[in-house]
Amino acid sequence: MATVKLFANLRKLAGTKELSITGTTVRAVVNELAERSSEVGSVILENGNLRPHFIVTLNGRNILDLDTAVTEQDTIAIFPPLAGG
Amino acid sequence: MSGWSGRILDIDLSIQTYRTYPLDMEMARLFIGGRGLGARLLWDMVGPEVDPLSPENVLIFANGPLTGTGYQTSNRFSVSTKSPLTGTVLDANSGGFWGMQFKKAGYDVLIVRGRARQPVWIEIKNDAISFHDASELWGMRVFALTEKLGQNNNKRNVLCIGPAGENLSRIASIMNDRERALARGGTGAVMGSKNLKAIVIEGKDRPAIDDPGQFKFLLYETRKLLAANPLTSQAFPEFGTVVLMNIMNNIGALATRNHQQTQFEGAEAISGEELTEKYLVKNSACWACPIACTRVTKTDKVEGEGPEFESTWAFGAQCGIDDLPAIIEANSLCNDLGLDTISAGSTIACAMELSEKGYMDSDLRFGRADQLASTVEAMAYRRDIGSDLADGSLRLGAKYGHPELSMSAKGMEMPAYDPRGMQGQGLLYATSNRGGCHMRGNMVGLEVLGLPMMIDRFQVQGKSSYVVLHQNVSAAIDSLVVCKFTNLGVADEYFARVLSAVTGIKYATGDMVKAGERIWNLEKLYNLREGFGRKDDTLPPRLLNEAPTEGPSQGWVVQLEPMLKEYYRGRGWDENGVPTAKKLAELELTNLSEQVIAAK
Repeated sequence: MATVKLFANLRKLAGTKELSITGTTVRAVVNELAERSSEVGSVILENGNLRPHFIVTLNGRNILDLDTAVTEQDTIAIFPPLAGG
Repeated sequence: MSGWSGRILDIDLSIQTYRTYPLDMEMARLFIGGRGLGARLLWDMVGPEVDPLSPENVLIFANGPLTGTGYQTSNRFSVSTKSPLTGTVLDANSGGFWGMQFKKAGYDVLIVRGRARQPVWIEIKNDAISFHDASELWGMRVFALTEKLGQNNNKRNVLCIGPAGENLSRIASIMNDRERALARGGTGAVMGSKNLKAIVIEGKDRPAIDDPGQFKFLLYETRKLLAANPLTSQAFPEFGTVVLMNIMNNIGALATRNHQQTQFEGAEAISGEELTEKYLVKNSACWACPIACTRVTKTDKVEGEGPEFESTWAFGAQCGIDDLPAIIEANSLCNDLGLDTISAGSTIACAMELSEKGYMDSDLRFGRADQLASTVEAMAYRRDIGSDLADGSLRLGAKYGHPELSMSAKGMEMPAYDPRGMQGQGLLYATSNRGGCHMRGNMVGLEVLGLPMMIDRFQVQGKSSYVVLHQNVSAAIDSLVVCKFTNLGVADEYFARVLSAVTGIKYATGDMVKAGERIWNLEKLYNLREGFGRKDDTLPPRLLNEAPTEGPSQGWVVQLEPMLKEYYRGRGWDENGVPTAKKLAELELTNLSEQVIAAK
């Protein structure tokens, strides 16, 4: 199972910082996350796609294609819209 | 006269007198205000022959045509001077309340020149200017002094230096409204060199607005845009700027232990989430700001504003320290002593590496949270080891034979973003006119956060065009003057419309960005006149030659050379980074460039 790390307000919505989720693509993992937590799902997804400015990384590299393949050793991080300086 | 007050207050401390005279309105049209106007005035007043800490250097405080109007975040102002840290052109800008009060006093610009024989402080109440003996205030820290001089956010505002500025630390800041800072480049040392402890302002006149109806409509629209934007309405108020800690660490672009690594195992412990959960007291805001990104925090020892992301990083990951209370206390101490947190933290990190490698005889070590507060104190007072650290990491490294261990560009310590994982950020640091800085454009939006879109952070080709645009826009925003965070919810176009409504001069978006380009080129000319050249548009050797051995940025160094060539071409400069005659004519800067040629 891939490790999914959540940040900022997503932690409060999911009630955890980290989950283990099975899935062969980033999309499958994100959909499973939305199944487990409808509150997180409604915040991050819109019509099956990520809402604008949500950031997903796979092992620290930004993911633009949700159909990117995932292995059990991978870590997916999901961030809500962020800014700072 | 609308927007601008149309007046300059010019104080000579050597003879404790002042005069006022009209602002050159053609100059104002071209350079707007704040940073742009400050750079243009500095050009005429401070040449290559001037030592930054001599009486001949000047402090140019400048607000902008939007300052004090009540437009969202129109609280900011800047100070321009020749930097004692870098020797380059310098401006630093700050929020809070002082800038608004400065505008209400009826001036666009306050020039302070000369050097007082004894410590003084200045009081400005519109046309009543008075000089007061500051002998008994000399030595006071910022928080106590601010209170003593009667800080009252909306009525009377205090700007001052702490002990670090008095002791001419080249990384000393000027503080305003207690915990706001004109932080970078050693502004506080210039003020200290003039024996000037504080400037207190009370103003009574709101600036005139040319088209109040249109202005009111734009206020309404901006309020709606900021409220609808998830960044300005939720991300900033909820987690503040420190929320960047985890994502920068996640992608392997969080400079760690003096840039020896790009990920910090203790990032979670110093993150925005941790700060919010354990130490947040409340949010606070600058004047006329609906975003309210400021975090008031509390530990067993201190309560106050901050720390922001960069300060948390500088005393945290950069020093290998994961003790958040110690970081909060070091930040508070810097504010009270008047020290730039980024430079202070990164200089301590440089000393830690020098010491660990045996180049410097000290017990400073990465991870030693217990050493932070005492080292910061020592720096501000130039005590013991602090005397070596008080002038920044480049002078420290040079003293111990290893200037390459200073993580600085043009001598100014770089902020948190490790450019080996953000190629565009590397080009930004290398070409920044005031040195290693993230406020002269910032590629974190495009390269990491997808704002307004995501581009490949490792891509080299084509990156310079984004950098140029960001630099020009940031110069324009710094001259209006408003907070750059507003720009996350409000497009550049709005600023041009507001500027037009306030001043009565029609600025299209392109005109405003062109003004930013003009300001950038003027700053570049200033640095060329000072003797800076292509060799100075660079980065520490570590970032160019040493690739991270693990993490998402593994194997990457900054590919500076191809980006720099492309950047110079894109700016209309020659292969040595000198603006061409054609470019300068386009920007109405031809007459200034002749002085650069004459100087050579």
